[in-house]
Amino acid sequence: MYEHDVLIIGAGLAGLRASVEAARMGVDAAVITKVHPIRSHSNAAQGGINAPMTDRGDDWEGHALDTIKGSDYLADQDAVELMSREAGDAIIELEHMGVIFSRNEDGQLGTRRFGGQKVARTFYVGAITGSAMLQVLYEQAVKLDVNVYEEWFVSNLIIEDGVCHGVMAMDIHTGELHMIRAKAVIMATGGAGRVFEPSTNALICTGEGLGLAYRAGAPLMDMEMIQYHPTTLAGSGILLSEAARGEGAYLLNAEGERFMKTYAPDYLELASRDVVSRSEQTEINEGRGIDGNIHLDLRHLGRTFIEERLGYLQEVALEFAGIDLAEASIPIRPGMHYIMGGIKTDINGATEVPGLYAAGETANVSVHGGNRLGANSLLDTVVFGRRAAIAAAEYAKSAERHSSDESMLASEKERYQALLDRPADLRAAALRREMGESMVAGIGVFRDQKTIDAAIATVENLRSLYPRVAVDNKGKVFNTDIMAAIELDYMLDVAHTICAGANARKESRGAHYRTDMPDRDDENWLKHTLVYKDGEGSRVETLDVTITNWTPVERVY
Amino acid sequence: MEQTLRVKRYDPENPGDAGYQEYNVEVTDTTTILDALLTIREEMDGTLSMRCSCRASICGSCAMRVDGQAKLVCKTRLNSVAPDGETITIDPLGNMPVIKDLVVEFKSFWDKTRAVEPFLKPEGIVPEAEYIASDDDMVHLVGVVNCIQCGACVSDCTVLEVDDSFLGPAALAKAYRFVKDPRDGHQKDRLEDLNKPSGVWDCTRCMQCVEVCPKDVDPMGRIMVLRDMAMEAGFNNTSGSRHTESFAKSVKKNGRLDEMKLAVDSMGKFNFPALIAEAPVGLRAIRKGKFPWKAHKSSEPDKVKQVFEKIEGNK
Amino acid sequence: MKYAFYPGCVARGGTPELLVSANAVMDRLGIEREEIVSAACTGAGVLQERNQKLGDALNVRTFALAEKMGLPIMTICSTCQGVMSQANRRVLRDPEYLAEINEVLAEEGLEYKGTTVIKHFLWVLVEEIGIEELQKTFTKELSGLKFAPFYGCYIVRPSDALGFDEHPERQTSLETVIESTGAVAVENDGKTKCCGLPILLINQSNAIQMVSNHTGEAKDLGADAMVTPCPLCHLNLDGYQPKAAKRRPSGKIDLPILHLPQMLGLAMGMQPKELGLQRHIISTKEVIGKAAAAPAAVS
Repeated sequence: MYEHDVLIIGAGLAGLRASVEAARMGVDAAVITKVHPIRSHSNAAQGGINAPMTDRGDDWEGHALDTIKGSDYLADQDAVELMSREAGDAIIELEHMGVIFSRNEDGQLGTRRFGGQKVARTFYVGAITGSAMLQVLYEQAVKLDVNVYEEWFVSNLIIEDGVCHGVMAMDIHTGELHMIRAKAVIMATGGAGRVFEPSTNALICTGEGLGLAYRAGAPLMDMEMIQYHPTTLAGSGILLSEAARGEGAYLLNAEGERFMKTYAPDYLELASRDVVSRSEQTEINEGRGIDGNIHLDLRHLGRTFIEERLGYLQEVALEFAGIDLAEASIPIRPGMHYIMGGIKTDINGATEVPGLYAAGETANVSVHGGNRLGANSLLDTVVFGRRAAIAAAEYAKSAERHSSDESMLASEKERYQALLDRPADLRAAALRREMGESMVAGIGVFRDQKTIDAAIATVENLRSLYPRVAVDNKGKVFNTDIMAAIELDYMLDVAHTICAGANARKESRGAHYRTDMPDRDDENWLKHTLVYKDGEGSRVETLDVTITNWTPVERVY
Repeated sequence: MEQTLRVKRYDPENPGDAGYQEYNVEVTDTTTILDALLTIREEMDGTLSMRCSCRASICGSCAMRVDGQAKLVCKTRLNSVAPDGETITIDPLGNMPVIKDLVVEFKSFWDKTRAVEPFLKPEGIVPEAEYIASDDDMVHLVGVVNCIQCGACVSDCTVLEVDDSFLGPAALAKAYRFVKDPRDGHQKDRLEDLNKPSGVWDCTRCMQCVEVCPKDVDPMGRIMVLRDMAMEAGFNNTSGSRHTESFAKSVKKNGRLDEMKLAVDSMGKFNFPALIAEAPVGLRAIRKGKFPWKAHKSSEPDKVKQVFEKIEGNK
Repeated sequence: MKYAFYPGCVARGGTPELLVSANAVMDRLGIEREEIVSAACTGAGVLQERNQKLGDALNVRTFALAEKMGLPIMTICSTCQGVMSQANRRVLRDPEYLAEINEVLAEEGLEYKGTTVIKHFLWVLVEEIGIEELQKTFTKELSGLKFAPFYGCYIVRPSDALGFDEHPERQTSLETVIESTGAVAVENDGKTKCCGLPILLINQSNAIQMVSNHTGEAKDLGADAMVTPCPLCHLNLDGYQPKAAKRRPSGKIDLPILHLPQMLGLAMGMQPKELGLQRHIISTKEVIGKAAAAPAAVS
């Protein structure tokens, strides 16, 4: 019998931070993850982590305002305040755990500038901040002897009477399905980048956590808010960190000009990501791109600086584009990168499903609203990963252990068996690719009713084809084929909710830019969209944004 | 154009079918080996099991042997390994048991990492804000924190091939990261542990780990520094440190190596059991006229000594 | 062609037959050489682990001496070659570091200007002399013989210090030279692995196992001998083979280990004593016999 007080799904930064907190509290907690913790996609974050340090002249209100403005006023201001206030302690705690943050001449933590902020308050480790942080969180989990179900694939939640009581998961090494009962579950499964093609995201970012919560009855909030990162490699879609621009790199069009001066005369290359991506896309659409790309120029930073502060960027440029950043500019374009949307939670990570919590990219508190500032995601994960653990542990104390129905496991096994028994027909990868390409086309940097409708139609069609998806691999050991088929099931749900949100929000705000409705409409739309599963389809509700201190104004960079 | 990939298959549920399977894949100049493997998995044969995730050389999942040498396949272009479109062979990583196809058991890898206590152990009062540390110290550590624990070094380590008890390049590089962190309060303890059998002295300096590391971590170089630091910290009672000292002494004196003295000193001048155990080898050498009786010298040993003194001071 | 000859410590010490055979073969090939008698040991990687700068300084001194002689350096030991190549690369990439080292050497009146080229005899054969010219000196065609190549770590790694970009043929140079004699180069997994010598005095068990694996493998593949361009490898593969044989179920290996020049000497029809072949721990009698019985070379 696998049983715990708290079960954390996902071993990225949010999941591991939650597990460390749970271990410190002496809670019986475990982490379940479909890859080894070190392989989690948090390792791909490059540029840095924001924090207003009040002990050295910064103020948390400044960071909060930058974040709220960056969100195009869709962020819930109480949540943002909380994150900004807790950020300073979070950074110091990370440093005490061992993160090798860069330093200034006085030996204190060093900073760099980042998008949407005038103050340099981004703490970093070269261009591998995410990897460096993930390694330290993993080290702390090792130190505290955290229990990890390593390479277990969660394919369903145990929901009884609307309450979450654990998960059903496949041990990838043996192919055996098990129930793991838990009084509280924290969903920390990251984003769903692979719903789009191309994307900066890893192949494992298939968003089944979002799909699982959605099917359990938790609404997904602001799913139309899809971040296209301004600097992704043409072709592969691999990310080139905003840190390049933070350290002074330029964006150039075919005429060699820093075109951002037209679109964001104050912040230039460091405007919010949605503004920069739209600017780039406009340049490209209007014929001022170079082979359909924009160029990112770091040459003036010098080789030594690039190798020391942006080493991983140089590695990516050389390995994946054959370009030496000290010698040449590199072609980039906007690429799908992050979902501001996610499982709606309160400031303690609680979803609308009792027993189910969420933190990290998979959650939407909302601190990022309509657009996330760079270096705020790493902050989000540690602040809310911790809070979710505390809340989940508290809930678990008073929750009664529920002896769950074994027949649930039997139906889950039937689900797998149906896939295994189906003779060769459609391949999951083919459907995923079609979905991905249509989502980028339909819910892109610019969208309108036509493009949204096209995406909706494709997703619906693929959903109708899903029952024909079959697998080649009928074996038990390390069957990634069947995992891909089940991931696709949830990815189609996620795609559906993204389309539903985009269809519902009749305005432009943050990353959701409709060319047929280009203005922000605070009167009617200072609200979140909430997509609920409703029978075979869904329904969209809205929820007012929480405003505390900052009145929404026109957003100019 | 088309290229053939010869991939090692193994299914524990059908072990008798193990062997190489050939796949012909459409490729271009920029196709990576991972691209090709994904094409196989997604379009041709979903039974192929492998680990892969980020495609951007940061997650460490996709290390495999390509034509016998460990590589991260997401950053390896087919035409860099097979410029004339030759067939390439893909095997799982070495020195680790195979679970299925290209997936290997990493348990020993993670256990060895744990064995070096891979977490910061500060001592003394915890400051309110951050520990003060120099940027140089932190930047130096970036080189070794670049390790994504992909297993390539462990796969191709020639010592692990004969002795699984060796801690291995990845764990030792990880240990270095903490020994060199100015905030860690246990440098000496760590060095003492690393100085024990199966630790830093068991590396045979074959440079395989340096050659195959996709992140320029230079595990062997780190091991060498750990050896030096262990000796400096006073841990001199290993044959390894005696070997190094004797070597240095010999070259300082003669400009050249006195092999016999080296052998004796390394084992320990008074380590009679070991010396006696080596007698047969010595005797054979004498019989064959190979015994290095007389130490050779440079024609100007004083000039060599001068170099030693200028760099190390008068020791 | 003339070279500043650097035989290394072991060629005079534990493997004197290497120096003897190298001199004999190089004379036959008309390679002029002048030994850098003042040069120190390269440090073999051991000195470097104690003090990298000290090791580099000693090697840069050797480069400076060769520069003064106006000659490129030729080595006959994989380890010497590798250590020197690495040292050279280090100082050429870092002018400040080179300046520091030159300061040390100034006391002796030496200065390294960065022009010294260092090549192993193996590379000289392929790149400078050329296989065709080499074959002209052969009186025997060693067809029917099988030799297993064993490079020695330091002449194959790290690949970016050994000029493989410019000279990719170096990676198969040993097979090329073996095949030039008419013999077959055996395909063995161990050819670029470690012989174990660096840990011989530290973890003998592992070192012995390496010897057992590599020589055992070659023997099982039908090799008549193993050929190596590194005397340190030779010390282990030959000297400790009796102990290594005990690791095999059969208790036997009996694979003679030839220094590269000795193999060439056999193809050149030289006498075993000229090549020091009587000095091996593992008897070379059988392979000498086979070589003697091999047909004459077709001119």
